[in-house]
Amino acid sequence: MSSTHKVSTYCYQCVNGPDMLTVEVTDGIATTVAPNFAAKGYHPADGKVCVKPYGLVQKIYNPNRVLKPLKRTNPKKGRNEDPGWVEIEWEEALNTIAQKLNAIRATSLIDEQGYPRVAFTTGGAATPYFYMGTFASFLAAWGPVDQSLGAGGTVKCYHTEHVYGELWHRAFTVCPDTPRCEYIVSFGNNIDASGGVTSVRRHADARARGIKRIQIEPHLSITGASASEWIPIRPKTDPAFLYAMLHVLLHERPLTDLDVPFLKARTGSPYLIGPNGFFLRDPASKKPLMWDAATGRALPFDTPGIDPALVGSFTVSGMEVGADGKTWEHDAIEATTAFEVTRRLVAAHTPEWAAPVCDVAAYRIRRVANDFIAHARIGETIEFEGRTLPFRPVAVMLGKGVNNGWGAYECVWARTMLMVLVGGLEVPGGLLGSTVHISGMDFDRMGSVAPHPDGFLDYPFNPTDKEHWAAQPQVRHGHTTLIPIIGGGLTSQLMGSTVLSWMRLQGRAADSWGQPKPPDVWFVYRCNPNISFSETDRIGETMATFPFTVAFSYTQDETNHFADLVLPEAIDLESTQLIRIGGTHYFEQFWDTQGWVLRQPVVPPRGEAKDFTWIATELAKRTGLLEAYNAMINFGAAGLPLKTDAYDFSLDVTRAHSVDETWDAICRAASADVTGGTASDGLAYFKEKGFRVKPFPKINWYLYPRMEDLGLRFELPYQERILRIGQELSARLHEQGVTWWDRQLHEYEPLPTWKDLNELWASAYERAYGIKASDYPFWLLTARSMQYAWGGNVSLQMIREVAANIAGHDGIMINAQVAEQLGIEQGDRIEVTSPIGVTSGRALLRQGVRPDTIVMVGQFGHWKTPYAKDLDMPSLNNLVPMNMDLVDGTGSAVDAVLVNIRKVGRKSK
Amino acid sequence: MKPTKFSRFGTSHQAIWDWRAAGNFICGGAGSSLLAVSTFAAFPGVADGRLLLLAVLLIGAGLAFVWTEIGRPWRAFNVLFHPQTSWMTREAYVAALIVALLAAGAATGVAFLSHIASLAALLFLYCQGRILKAARGIPTWREPAIVPLIVATGLVEGLSLLVLIVTMQGAAVPAMFAALILLVALRAAAWLRYRSRMNASDMPLSTRRVLQSSHLAVLGVGTAVPLVAAALALAVPMAALAGALAALAAAVAGWHFKLLLITRAAQVQGYALGNKLRRGHPFAAR
Amino acid sequence: MTRYVMVADLNRCVGCQTCTASCKHTNATPPGVQWRKVLDVEMGEYPNVERLFMPVGCQHCSDPPCMEVCPSTATGQRKDGIVTIDYDLCIGCSYCAVACPYQARYKVEEARFAYSDGPTENEALRFDERRIGVAQKCTFCSDRVDAGLERGLTPGIDPDATPACANACIANALTFGDLEDRESNVSKLLTENTWFRMHEHLGTDPGFYYLWEEK
Repeated sequence: MSSTHKVSTYCYQCVNGPDMLTVEVTDGIATTVAPNFAAKGYHPADGKVCVKPYGLVQKIYNPNRVLKPLKRTNPKKGRNEDPGWVEIEWEEALNTIAQKLNAIRATSLIDEQGYPRVAFTTGGAATPYFYMGTFASFLAAWGPVDQSLGAGGTVKCYHTEHVYGELWHRAFTVCPDTPRCEYIVSFGNNIDASGGVTSVRRHADARARGIKRIQIEPHLSITGASASEWIPIRPKTDPAFLYAMLHVLLHERPLTDLDVPFLKARTGSPYLIGPNGFFLRDPASKKPLMWDAATGRALPFDTPGIDPALVGSFTVSGMEVGADGKTWEHDAIEATTAFEVTRRLVAAHTPEWAAPVCDVAAYRIRRVANDFIAHARIGETIEFEGRTLPFRPVAVMLGKGVNNGWGAYECVWARTMLMVLVGGLEVPGGLLGSTVHISGMDFDRMGSVAPHPDGFLDYPFNPTDKEHWAAQPQVRHGHTTLIPIIGGGLTSQLMGSTVLSWMRLQGRAADSWGQPKPPDVWFVYRCNPNISFSETDRIGETMATFPFTVAFSYTQDETNHFADLVLPEAIDLESTQLIRIGGTHYFEQFWDTQGWVLRQPVVPPRGEAKDFTWIATELAKRTGLLEAYNAMINFGAAGLPLKTDAYDFSLDVTRAHSVDETWDAICRAASADVTGGTASDGLAYFKEKGFRVKPFPKINWYLYPRMEDLGLRFELPYQERILRIGQELSARLHEQGVTWWDRQLHEYEPLPTWKDLNELWASAYERAYGIKASDYPFWLLTARSMQYAWGGNVSLQMIREVAANIAGHDGIMINAQVAEQLGIEQGDRIEVTSPIGVTSGRALLRQGVRPDTIVMVGQFGHWKTPYAKDLDMPSLNNLVPMNMDLVDGTGSAVDAVLVNIRKVGRKSK
Repeated sequence: MKPTKFSRFGTSHQAIWDWRAAGNFICGGAGSSLLAVSTFAAFPGVADGRLLLLAVLLIGAGLAFVWTEIGRPWRAFNVLFHPQTSWMTREAYVAALIVALLAAGAATGVAFLSHIASLAALLFLYCQGRILKAARGIPTWREPAIVPLIVATGLVEGLSLLVLIVTMQGAAVPAMFAALILLVALRAAAWLRYRSRMNASDMPLSTRRVLQSSHLAVLGVGTAVPLVAAALALAVPMAALAGALAALAAAVAGWHFKLLLITRAAQVQGYALGNKLRRGHPFAAR
Repeated sequence: MTRYVMVADLNRCVGCQTCTASCKHTNATPPGVQWRKVLDVEMGEYPNVERLFMPVGCQHCSDPPCMEVCPSTATGQRKDGIVTIDYDLCIGCSYCAVACPYQARYKVEEARFAYSDGPTENEALRFDERRIGVAQKCTFCSDRVDAGLERGLTPGIDPDATPACANACIANALTFGDLEDRESNVSKLLTENTWFRMHEHLGTDPGFYYLWEEK
């Protein structure tokens, strides 16, 4: 008799998760993925999952899986070296690792240069943490771990939005209040391909409602397809467009067209700027001053009943507080409002000025700006959960390619300024933050709100004062030393300059700090940096120098080719973990519930693949860390504390616990968490029900009410703290003799000045590579593949099959007219050359791409991963240089590159 | 035709029927027509049995080609289940009828049976035309003008075969050349009609290219050469070989056209957006 | 009377292929066979370009050309409009495939698997020899519809009575339902929106409606 049952679980293959699904199992074999219909009414997309989890069944049964631990027998590492894998038992594998780890513990956890001897790298914007069971608890028990050897983070992410978004409005990522928004200006934001299930659903609903979206991007993306209008902008000129929009709002429209009450009460616009560029402050209270027209004098910003001036300069007295405690006392000097300074900044940036820069007609820029303000409904309000809030149904969104590297600060600042000018930040209809990482816990955005004495949101900048500055880098990219805005919390390492880590290991950056040694033990999990980062061939050579690499891997790949041990972990549908769901989370995950969801084995692990919790426990046992490891789990490192005032499900720290025992305790704590301590159901409950939630008030989607309650202001337009921190950081680094970060220090401007990025790129290339930039007339860009992104699924046939229905998965997209001029026909092989690399692929002639742009979708270029290596798909990653001149002040760079192309072959059948 | 928003796209070539299907139209068309024209030529008598055998073998060969192409050859008799609408079923019945009539005729010596068989052969040829016309997924096939074209082409092929055979036997008669001239002219007319219909359609460039090359072959090799050669054979009694050349050229051009029609000019309908947007329940008018 | 139809909202669809994948799962189609898929359509010339995504598959026509030509009567039509194939009758002549103006039909001559080294366990479990050498296409998940109806569920509303693609669609672009029921989900969509059907001039009376607001 054949028997079939359904198992519920979650998918968190991308940051837009978790989403919930069920898997049908027949006679012990997983067959069919379907949505979890029981989640309808809880999950914002009714329990549906995107295309990626449909690959998970094939992922289980893929014949190319690694199913037994593998040991390298060829000590020589290199791309052309055969690792000589031999299968070994787990016992041997774990003992080998333990021996290395115990040797480290016997000497020191930190090497002679001050860097952790153990490093851990993962990818997918840290989503692998939701697949690695209690391994994070093991790492926490271990002590210092270097996570600076990134797999693409800061180049492949929304880095500048992450840091400035979080600073300004607790917005590690932002999104429109899509269910209420009516007009979106999107600079290459490819939300339909990168925003996951909830985003797609919310935007589809919004389109049905009649939302307008203007898509401004060089290549007509998946998301551009559903836009109201496509404006093909020249790559890397988005700041000019945004500044021209600001110009229209600030110079072509009367002040009364803007949200003046919002600007006065909820922003730093009226703050007066002193001659040294710092806020003019009340000498007694040190509070920033505003000009009060009624009394004709400057008053502290929090003076009740004040009606501050937004525009103009005033003769006032006060003090400035600069870097390192330096102060200036002023008597009757001229001080200008931050708003006025901002107006002056964009005075020259007219649409007519921007038009030739962006290759977009001035009238179109002006129309977008005017439509933006027309749709903002300034002055309107909405009743929301019993509270009257401003209603501003407009948003400006930025895509990944404009969100990191040089120019991103301008973009993120200008975008947020546009929102502020219409009072549309963190209010219904407007632009919202979704989650936090630097200033608080990701599941509790509201909990991260704390006041700063200047009236803004407090923010945990890394210290830059003499006494507290981290002069000695703690990890190989020195994130706490170099980048104050990323903080020093649990996830901050992931936001440090990963380009810098790899370049330092290659001896070509931060020369005064010397070349760091590779980590003694490098753990790599669920990522493939040798494909997903830049200059990948060179990264491979660097990996080959690492003495001991342990890769937890699904198949052989381009990274574990250089490993010493390759270990098969029980994959997505084979293992157990309980994680949080709901609240507000990445991109558009806005729920009205919050709670927990279980991942459970749908089928038993294949071969000798092991649950990561088992692996972590075994490693803890073998390294004498069992007690610390259990204590970390009890403390909350596996999701939530197992002991609070309300409940106690803590594990006995003295002994090892099975996977199920461990997660049963965590499930019990989670049950208590969502029921206020009344329930204590464990693993069995979650296995049956799948998830458990409690209500989450929608008012928490918006920061504005909380800001209003606390009398706080968004820290815009003027970045006084950034200016001060930049000066202090500059002083600290120069005191240490560090001058190689000077270019990055230029970014610490209180108001970002516009830069010609095309010129910046051209000159950086000419300096570094001795080429003529005009020989590289095309921008090579990438675009998100929803089917592949973060899925680790390039070896899955089904994913390939369905992805091939979408243009760009079978070649390089090039403008059809340009191709014709170059004699390139559909399917011809073309070679793409950047100053540092070359690749080739089939030409895919398209109309929806600018003549100066070519596009390679996704990240391919595999040479080892089974199946993927036969796809003949090029990747731009190996063509993108790692170059310190292209790293911005927050440590990020962008994965766009100047290239030339030529035809090298006719279409082959 | 300049492409518009509503133009068809994805009009790749069908990858379903290959040269074996073309073989059915080539052999079946020639065989059925040979049966008809040889019977007509011998009327009221009975055509040479060897000719009839050849005709039946050709029809059988065509069906055998199809048999090798179907996915479940051992269920081939299921082809007979749908005479109500399927021209493929009808073709199969007619083929069986032809064989039965000829067999009965041979067994009984009743000439009438072979005469009826020749009419059935014409019906078989017509079925072939209708098979293509009913293939609504392939614009070059479903064009109604395909039916007279397929019939005319088949007739030319059958007559050409007859002319070739009797010429080899030294028994060619001028009437056959005259008939060939007539049928070739008829086919040219059918071709021009079909081609003008297709040219007026929104066929993709790839189809257009194939039909253009076919045009040159049908009118040149398939029409001009046979007309001149057959006229020569008519005018000069000694020029029997010219008649054979006419027949050969006429037949080869027809076969070539059918091969192209099935294997290179059969772009699928593709997809398209509808250019008539409507609002309201589809049954609102009921 | 019942007429099951699919409504695809082109303003909603983002081409994610979740429907394609869910169809492959539910119907265990081999590599290269996509009863449901979504086309990536580009129209116009730079810089006046439009792009949209168009779900396609069997249109379950009222007057299906495939059924007309089918010599074996393997292709049939249910009273509810669903066009069916009897794998045990079909001779695999593919006449239906050339008759279908929607490229909805497939024929797989021999067992085909995702990886060259034979079937994976799930493929082996779900392999159906009856589908070899015969025509196959979208069934509107008629087995799910029937099983759901038996349980008193409403196709298009209750997931267990609804085609997998419509269930899976993350944009709610695919809606399945009974066109004869004027109060049904699909009737409402068609009443309230502008729509077209593909290749209507071919007289097939397709049961697949596309909602579209022209830009």
